[in-house]
Amino acid sequence: MTIVDLTSMGEPQTDLKKELNARLTKLQDEISDFCFQCGKCTSGCEAHKLLELEPHKIVALLKRGLLNELVNSDIIWTCMSCMKCRERCPQRVAPVDILFGLKNMAVASGKEIPGKYTGMLQSILSMGLIQDIQQATTRTNKTVKRDELGLPPLSKPVDVTKFHAGIMKIAMDKV
Amino acid sequence: MKKKYAIFPGCLMPTEQYAYELSIREIIPLLGIEIVDLEGFSCCGEPMKSVNQFLTLYLSARNLAIAEKDNLDVFVPCAMCHLALSECQHVFENNPEMKKRINGLLAAENLTYTNKRQIVHTVDLLHDHIGLETIQQHVKKPLKGLKITAHYGCHLIRPSEIGRPVDSENPQKIEAILTAIGAEPTTCPQKLDCCGAPLLTNLPESALTKTGQKLQAIQEQGIHGMVDVCPWCHKMFDNRQTKAGETVAAKLAVPVLYLPQLIGLAFGLSPDALGLDLNLSPVEKLQQKEEA
Repeated sequence: MTIVDLTSMGEPQTDLKKELNARLTKLQDEISDFCFQCGKCTSGCEAHKLLELEPHKIVALLKRGLLNELVNSDIIWTCMSCMKCRERCPQRVAPVDILFGLKNMAVASGKEIPGKYTGMLQSILSMGLIQDIQQATTRTNKTVKRDELGLPPLSKPVDVTKFHAGIMKIAMDKV
Repeated sequence: MKKKYAIFPGCLMPTEQYAYELSIREIIPLLGIEIVDLEGFSCCGEPMKSVNQFLTLYLSARNLAIAEKDNLDVFVPCAMCHLALSECQHVFENNPEMKKRINGLLAAENLTYTNKRQIVHTVDLLHDHIGLETIQQHVKKPLKGLKITAHYGCHLIRPSEIGRPVDSENPQKIEAILTAIGAEPTTCPQKLDCCGAPLLTNLPESALTKTGQKLQAIQEQGIHGMVDVCPWCHKMFDNRQTKAGETVAAKLAVPVLYLPQLIGLAFGLSPDALGLDLNLSPVEKLQQKEEA
């Protein structure tokens, strides 16, 4: 088991895909009953003005069953997860959660993961956190680390092997 | 007896946002709360939500289980971590099947979570549990005439459905704290705008543009400074302010402080102890105003 399996860049995770598919299909049914395209989600969307994400259209496309098209689109990765759409939807549709589902689906389908997600995951696997202790720069251009500031030791998994095994189980169970 | 909380530091605060941790460790014990450090915490899981939501849930439950082992409630200074842990709590309450499944996996590390921990963030710890009166009693140098705007952070205020520490459309708790320390809370139409940080991972340019747009609006309204309560928001608004300015073609000079830093200043604590040296935005502007 390596990072490749976990992010499924090697082989597609079929069981995980199946579960996500079931979840998204269920969402699709619910959406068809509830969303009436009022556009309230898009009017408040943080990613809309900047990156042209239109949550109501994502919902409409899913309603029409265009799952593969959505999963393969770059637009799903522009969501800032501000959750205004979920908060303000009069029908409790939560486009932000649909987008998370679609992104998970893209990853499980073996699509290339954009940006630094793989690096962060790798770091979580190796030491439990998305990054190790960094040097911070002060106003006077000095560099300091947490111990020099008198802060207590960093809290992180003590037995990394055990921690690692737990996460890997998730990958192998392909929940 | 002092109320005790296990501090859940997360990733960003203890590995680079030292100013937040320093100022929290200065003011919270002063206000009668004991902070307990526990070994073994990991990432809250929220940064991995786009990759695998189940992993997010697993990591959150794992961290809550560690606090449960010591029978402690959890103090989470990061808004993102606070959401992840609260969401896990919500799932455990409403989905017994998922709870069983996760606990089954946690058994490998001899952990289990029964869902009985209270989860607090800096804002509700200060406002609801410590209380404005106690804060006011500690003020030695009221920050008179300082117009400060509050940035809550999306993950702290939404979604209200799962229970958040402040109101989702008109949060007022930071404003109340600002009043208690003598400052002048100033609202702006951009109050609920996102800091952009969630896009740092895959669209860093757009993330900075978001930051720049908000700061520019604040600067144009003549507000003296901003306080935030999340290491991700602060990384954008303070650490990356100059870069953010470049994306909107503006020279930005908005002092940005963590809320506990500003409270500490009002308590008369030394700027060094509060990690003010680590803020890269022009915080000296605020200190000069204060002295004048």
